Amino acid sequence: MAEPSGPIQPIHQFEITKLVDFGRVNLPVFGPTDLAFTNSHLAMTIAFLLIVLFMTAVTANMKVVPGRLQAAGESLFGMIDGLAESIIGHEGRRYFPFVFTVFSFILAMNLLGLLLTFTVTSQLAITAAFGVLTILLVLVVGFARNGLGFFKLFVPSGVPIVLLPVIVLIEFVSFLLRPITLALRLFGNMLGGHVALSVFASFVVALGVYAGHGGASLLVGAPGAALSMVMVVALTALEVLVAFLQAFVFAVLTCIYLNDVVNLGHGH
Amino acid sequence: MADTDNATAAGTVESAAARSALHIGQGATPETTTATREAQGGAGGLPQFQFQHWAGQIGYLLVLFFILYLLMSRVFAPRIRRVFDERSRTIEEALAAARKVQAEASAQAEEARKALADARARAQRTAAEAKARAEAEAKARNAQLEAELNARLAEAEARIRASRDSAMANVAAIAGDIAEAIVDKLTGLAAPREAVDQAVAKLQG
Repeated sequence: MAEPSGPIQPIHQFEITKLVDFGRVNLPVFGPTDLAFTNSHLAMTIAFLLIVLFMTAVTANMKVVPGRLQAAGESLFGMIDGLAESIIGHEGRRYFPFVFTVFSFILAMNLLGLLLTFTVTSQLAITAAFGVLTILLVLVVGFARNGLGFFKLFVPSGVPIVLLPVIVLIEFVSFLLRPITLALRLFGNMLGGHVALSVFASFVVALGVYAGHGGASLLVGAPGAALSMVMVVALTALEVLVAFLQAFVFAVLTCIYLNDVVNLGHGH
Repeated sequence: MADTDNATAAGTVESAAARSALHIGQGATPETTTATREAQGGAGGLPQFQFQHWAGQIGYLLVLFFILYLLMSRVFAPRIRRVFDERSRTIEEALAAARKVQAEASAQAEEARKALADARARAQRTAAEAKARAEAEAKARNAQLEAELNARLAEAEARIRASRDSAMANVAAIAGDIAEAIVDKLTGLAAPREAVDQAVAKLQG
């Protein structure tokens, strides 16, 4: 499909391709919707299966003295467990499964994006779903634990009465922005990283073809292609880091937002 | 059935058009560009804003997420927690056992030290007793020997005194005899024995 001499199309990789089509329906909020099993669904399924496989392998034959695989799984588990416990406190254990599911799912999809041709977390629909899901959980936990006291979240203690309306407004808006920032941060990181990777990779091909013409173009094309290749390798390494970091950041922010409502009134 | 087929065909055609439009880019004809716009929900640009794909992805994600959440909270997390708990229990038990053994060892060492000190004290006492006994025996023997020697000395002195006395008694008789003989020689007269004895006794004083 991607002919080397054609124009650079770094966003082609985000295209949704239907693998199995189920037709089109009109949904209330989403409007006209194509029901299909797409490449996005496929990537999600692979990520899901990989996590289940990994966790099954880790926990199938657990020993007090862990083997290599068990140690790897335990260190991921322990990292998120420690995170939830240190941010939310003793009750972190209750919310740990949610945080760990979010973390592992996002991590798996991020890392698969570097191996497959499709990155699920570069779809705004997916990151928005994660963000809204997290904030919905925060709202549910907030109202379930505090009732209407949940609204104290927007009223920090020790603020002068004159400033209070302004502060409440700012707090409220910042709360509304939370799902949006959650969604856009992950989306932007994945989108940007993969666009940059794609651009440099197409440079390698384009400059390589150009160098193939021989003569003076070889002098320009060959070093340029080599440099672009180095950039691709370096960016890939960076993207591995970003893939982990963004999953971790999402988990940290989930913990922080949950902590706000779990320990409402005695953490502020 | 036919309706669905038609819809499927329409969807395929549309997405194919969108794809080709994206690939062709600048070279797209006006008709395909509008078709793409329509297919992308009027947003244009990034494929992420083709909203007709949102609901399908989100729904599927939520289903997978829910299943994964159930697996994590019901199966995987409890399994790992159990091992964590078991591990910390094992470590605690090992530490407790080690602490107990250490306490026992130090108690035994203390006991051994005490036993050693006892033995040393006993040995010293025994040595002192033996020394005292030996000294007492030596003293007793000394005293006995001294007494024996003293007795023998006294006996010897008595014997000497007796022989001296007897010798002295003989001396008086000899002196008397000699005096009698001298008087006889000088004067030619026989001196009375009593007078001579008296004179000798006077001289002896």
